[in-house]
Amino acid sequence: MDTSSSIVTGAGLADAVRKSRLPARLDVVQSATGLVLALFMWGHMFFVSSILLGKDAMWTITKMFEGYFIFGRAYPGIVSVVVAVIVLLLVVHAALAVRKFPINYRQLRTYRGHMKLMRHEDTTLWYWQFVTGFALFFLAAPHLFQMLTQPGLIGPYESSDRVWSYHWWPLYLLLLFAVEVHGGVGLYRLAVKWGWFAGSNPDATRRRLKALKWALTVFFLALGLATLAAYIRIGIEHADRVGERYVPASVQPGAVK
Amino acid sequence: MKVVYTDVLVIGGGLAGLRMAIAAKRRGHDAVILSLVPPKRSHSKAAQGGMQASLGNVIKGQGDNEDVHFEDTVRGSDWGADQAVVRMFVNTAPKAVRELAAWGVPWSRVRRGDRTVIINGQKVTITERDEAHGLMAQRDFGGTKKWRTCYVSDGTGHAMLQAVGDQAIGSGIPVHERAEALALIHDGGRCYGAVVRDLIDGELTAYVAKATAIATGGAGRLYRVTTNAVICEGIGHALALESGAAALGNMEAVQFHPTGIFPAGILVTEGCRGDGGLLKDVDGHRFMPDYEPEKKELASRDVVSRRMEEHIRKGKGVGSRFGDHLWLDITLLGEKHIKTNLREVFEICHHFLGIDPTKDLVAVRPAQHYTMGGVRTKPTGESPTLKGLFAAGEAACWDMHGFNRLGGNSVAETVVAGMIVGEFIADFCDDPGNEFNLPTGLVREFVEREQAKLDALVASRGTEDASALKARMQEIMTAKVGIFRTGRDLEEAVAELQQLLARSRNIGLRTPSPGPNPELVTAYRVQKMLKLALTVAYGALTRTESRGAHFREDHPRRDDAQWLKRTLATWRDGASLPELNYEPLDIAKMELPPGWRGYGAKDYVDHPDTPRRQAEVDALKTQYAGDRFALQRALLPYDDLLPARLRGRNERIDEPFGGTGRAA
Amino acid sequence: MSMFRPTATHKVIPLVPADGAQPGNGGRIRVHAMRYNPRDPGNAPRLQTYELEQAEGMTLFIALSEIREKQDPSLQFDFVCRAGICGSCAMVINGRPGLACRTLTKAVGPDITLLPLPGFELIGDLSVNTGKWMRAMSERLEAWVHMKEAELDLTRIEARMEPELAEQIYELDRCIECGCCVAGCGTVRMREAFVGAVGLNKIARFRLDPRDTRDDDDFYELVGDDDGVFGCMSLLGCHDVCPKQLPLATQIAFVRRKMAAVGFR
Ligand SMILES: Cc1cc2nc3c(=O)[nH]c(=O)nc-3n(C[C@H](O)[C@H](O)[C@H](O)COP(=O)(O)OP(=O)(O)OC[C@H]3O[C@@H](n4cnc5c(N)ncnc54)[C@H](O)[C@@H]3O)c2cc1C
Ligand code: HEM
Ligand code: HEM
Ligand code: SF4
Ligand code: F3S
Ligand code: FES
Repeated sequence: MDTSSSIVTGAGLADAVRKSRLPARLDVVQSATGLVLALFMWGHMFFVSSILLGKDAMWTITKMFEGYFIFGRAYPGIVSVVVAVIVLLLVVHAALAVRKFPINYRQLRTYRGHMKLMRHEDTTLWYWQFVTGFALFFLAAPHLFQMLTQPGLIGPYESSDRVWSYHWWPLYLLLLFAVEVHGGVGLYRLAVKWGWFAGSNPDATRRRLKALKWALTVFFLALGLATLAAYIRIGIEHADRVGERYVPASVQPGAVK
Repeated sequence: MKVVYTDVLVIGGGLAGLRMAIAAKRRGHDAVILSLVPPKRSHSKAAQGGMQASLGNVIKGQGDNEDVHFEDTVRGSDWGADQAVVRMFVNTAPKAVRELAAWGVPWSRVRRGDRTVIINGQKVTITERDEAHGLMAQRDFGGTKKWRTCYVSDGTGHAMLQAVGDQAIGSGIPVHERAEALALIHDGGRCYGAVVRDLIDGELTAYVAKATAIATGGAGRLYRVTTNAVICEGIGHALALESGAAALGNMEAVQFHPTGIFPAGILVTEGCRGDGGLLKDVDGHRFMPDYEPEKKELASRDVVSRRMEEHIRKGKGVGSRFGDHLWLDITLLGEKHIKTNLREVFEICHHFLGIDPTKDLVAVRPAQHYTMGGVRTKPTGESPTLKGLFAAGEAACWDMHGFNRLGGNSVAETVVAGMIVGEFIADFCDDPGNEFNLPTGLVREFVEREQAKLDALVASRGTEDASALKARMQEIMTAKVGIFRTGRDLEEAVAELQQLLARSRNIGLRTPSPGPNPELVTAYRVQKMLKLALTVAYGALTRTESRGAHFREDHPRRDDAQWLKRTLATWRDGASLPELNYEPLDIAKMELPPGWRGYGAKDYVDHPDTPRRQAEVDALKTQYAGDRFALQRALLPYDDLLPARLRGRNERIDEPFGGTGRAA
Repeated sequence: MSMFRPTATHKVIPLVPADGAQPGNGGRIRVHAMRYNPRDPGNAPRLQTYELEQAEGMTLFIALSEIREKQDPSLQFDFVCRAGICGSCAMVINGRPGLACRTLTKAVGPDITLLPLPGFELIGDLSVNTGKWMRAMSERLEAWVHMKEAELDLTRIEARMEPELAEQIYELDRCIECGCCVAGCGTVRMREAFVGAVGLNKIARFRLDPRDTRDDDDFYELVGDDDGVFGCMSLLGCHDVCPKQLPLATQIAFVRRKMAAVGFR
């Protein structure tokens, strides 16, 4: 390539082999996957929290995803497809993000030392992003495996039973905290990383973004905890009838298979 | 023994040193730069206000040209300058500033149309020309007839040093940082390089070079209250002085800047006054017009500083625990102007005084600022007495500043002299006649001598404390060799400095380790600094007149009949005083014969030759009326003194070249 | 930035005290400075405490100079301009990188812990070799204006530039290469090959400069990888500690956008 440096003073770049474009693309992909995942999680949290509006509401949402209102019957396979897409995004995102992990103990120790000395919020937040990302590896896997393989077992009773009677709630609790912290910090970081919304006073924007980030995290944690509590409550009530599937009153007579 | 060979050894990585090295390197000679600190941390960084070059872009600079710049500089120098050198300088300054523009210095630019400025305390609207839009802007500075000072906000030196430093890196010039030249290697007639101490490990290395250049900046730290950086200790001056062969010129000419913040001495730029700031006393009264009705706050620095001290003596200073001071008022310039064009000033007031200069007055008092004296050179930059030794920048006495330098002329000098002297150094290296066969014995002898001195200091059981000696020296210089000087004070100063010099031979270290030992550094430097302090004080004592910044209360008049001459100081090994000689300035060759400066005291003693020369000059002026170039050539030819590639006129809006390119 | 603990250097303490105050009645302060000579094999880093009387308007420059003059002449540190403009005196002051010369002891005392700037070669005690690092960075990023080879005609009127553009360039040119941003960056600390904010800011500066003939493809060659702009994890420590308040956050983001765009051409 004919870079302009071939006609400029100084040690020339002209002879150098053209640098790979890959790092640029990977950086964009990492951000894009993170962004899609984070936005997905907002939706996800609203959908699962439909249980707070009642069993029927959740049932309706579930069935909606299974195409019930389009095709007239439920195809849980649709959910599997969505899950597969999410898994793919997650794998790509995680694989790219891992490049940023400390690669050995010495690096980790250096970072932690630096963080403690500096007491600087964004530096500390990255550490939590790293820790929660690491945790998400392990925490998200069983959940997604479950959703991928048994998409049909989603519903007011089905989910509640899983949460309570099959003892998934501790996992969900951890997962909830991990994903909310990770996603919240991630979105904030995306905005400053690419200079979005910078406006005429970037420092003020950053302050506002930071406040928004905390507000969102708190909101989704509260929502998630309430939701989890609702599943637990239903799970306890339903504990003696584990395995029974939920059928709303409106569809009960004919729809029971 | 470690030896480094190179074509050109440049001692000093400030603007002058860097620019010289670039010139030599671009002519194909290897250059190595030595610096006490990373070059971009040199004190050139501190220049806030700007660089003079007669571009005449702004409306208030219209009509400016080399001739006006020349007159301002010579008047500023109180006729102490070498007028041929001033001519070389004023003609090259526009080229230098334009070169820097191409190298990336983000000079502040002219914006067309109306703008409000403060002149003489009044808001005035001036209108910039359309054709000037986007060209470099100039501001007002002390002692100049036209607005001529090009600037980058108030970080001019910073931006210049950044650009020149970057070009040096781009040119692949090695800089040996944290290296200190301790002595020149020479045989009394020819300089061969320097003995250099590595400040990290304390090792000595001999640097052997065809040409050696001193660009070590000022010597402000001879004084207690100074605007200079802590590394401005005059070690470069001392290198030349201790050689016994090279001479220092006009060391008694020391400039005091009117506005050092009180009491720390950190400078706030002359640009504050140039942009319209006022000096006020304890009653809030603007006192400068009482003394200098014409130039007021913007008379040259020596005059303003003296007037301020005079006013304080009249009891008009503002009392404080640390002593008296005056006020600098820039509140009238407005917040926007201060935070953009005087941002560095804002930060300094904020961090070091804890005040907001957009609302509060700034406590100021004159502080030592600039060393006009330095290594005496020919117009080529070479020492007339030590072949192969060159000097440029504040460390040199090239001599374009005489007894007082104008604000903005110093950074201009560094790059202009860097360009010019750099070319001559390259010429010198090109000349086969300057090759040498150096006996290694000589190099060894110098290295061993320096090593022995250091070893002796480390081993010494002496009782004197280096820091204490230094503090005392600084005290004496500030109290007795300051703005106002008297024979009695100076005699006392010389006597006590001599004692200190004797005592400095009996320094003992509290931590006698040889390596990177800061105490050892203070010890060997203070020995050198004392010699320099004596050179200043003794020169001041001997010069029984007042000229520029050198003011003798007991001899308040400038005396051209006796003293139109340059002081040359040399130091014989083991002596306790410098040897002073004088080099007369030849009035018959002056383009501007001595007269009144246009500000300051009007009475002076004329030289007998002055009227004759004045008559000649007047005659030529009538003869060549209307052609300033022809007139100038007739008055003082200097073109042949400049390197060929730096000759030629300078284009201006009002002096366009037309389409064809360079005019003759 | 106000959303963080203000760094010590940003606090303002008036120099001239209330009436009746005596010099040196500012109380005692204790300076805990790291002592270490890396060239002495038998030597381990340790903190040494010096106690001194606090004077009015005392900066760390004044305090450390006094310690060296009166208590311990062997203590190593670097000051040059002592006015906050040369970038020599950066060190870690109570955990944060900052310029010692313009830090008032009152704002950080009475116990002041001083460490040398991490990420740079240690010369001894509080003195580090930032100059060497910066030179290497400049060479690596070719941080100088690349001009057309043809010789300039210096006699002619200079090229024009919009006043606003000159101001924008100066805004980025204000970097004093103090190294605070490097020391404040967790990424550089983990991965030494990462260019750091100072370097990315230089790229932004030269990119803005019309006198530099390079284009984005050329800059991509310099910073288009994970040791360059894509290695930055947006920790913004750099932005928050920069004593010159350079707009590092937006500049790094800007370079990232431009370099990412090159990646998709
Ligand atoms: C606060 C302040 C503001 C100023 N403002 C202006 C202004 O607005 N306009 C203007 O025109 N002028 C101004 N000046 C003056 C001007 O900045 C200086 O005179 C000029 O920059 C000196 O440049 P230099 O290259 O000669 O030396 P410096 O920039 O001082 O460089 C000296 C170099 O020599 C090195 N050195 C010293 N001793 C040794 C040794 N023994 N061995 C090896 N290396 C050594 C140092 O490390 C340094 O690199 C100002 C000065 C001060 C103090
Ligand atoms: C296996 C699981 C995951 C791991 C290991 C992981 C790891 C990481 C890491 C280390 C980063 C920081 C990257 C950097 O600093 O450049 C990051 C960024 C991010 N993560 Fe994750 N993450 C995971 C899952 C998720 C999930 C589920 C979401 C959605 C909520 C998410 C959203 C984000 C976002 C938005 C960013 C910012 C992207 C960027 O800076 O370019 N991540 N992730
Ligand atoms: C398309 C993929 C996904 C589907 C279909 C899905 C579905 C569900 C469902 C139905 C529940 C209710 C509990 C249950 O039935 O077990 C739930 C809960 C939860 N899911 Fe997912 N999920 C998906 C992906 C993810 C991902 C990627 C994460 C995080 C990395 C995640 C985190 C959680 C958490 C934390 C809960 C508990 C909710 C709470 O406490 O409010 N899910 N999910
Ligand atoms: S960007 Fe700021 S912190 Fe970094 S080196 Fe420059 S001035 Fe220092
Ligand atoms: S702190 Fe470091 S990671 Fe990037 S934003 Fe600043 S360079
Ligand atoms: S000594 Fe220059 S910035 Fe502190």
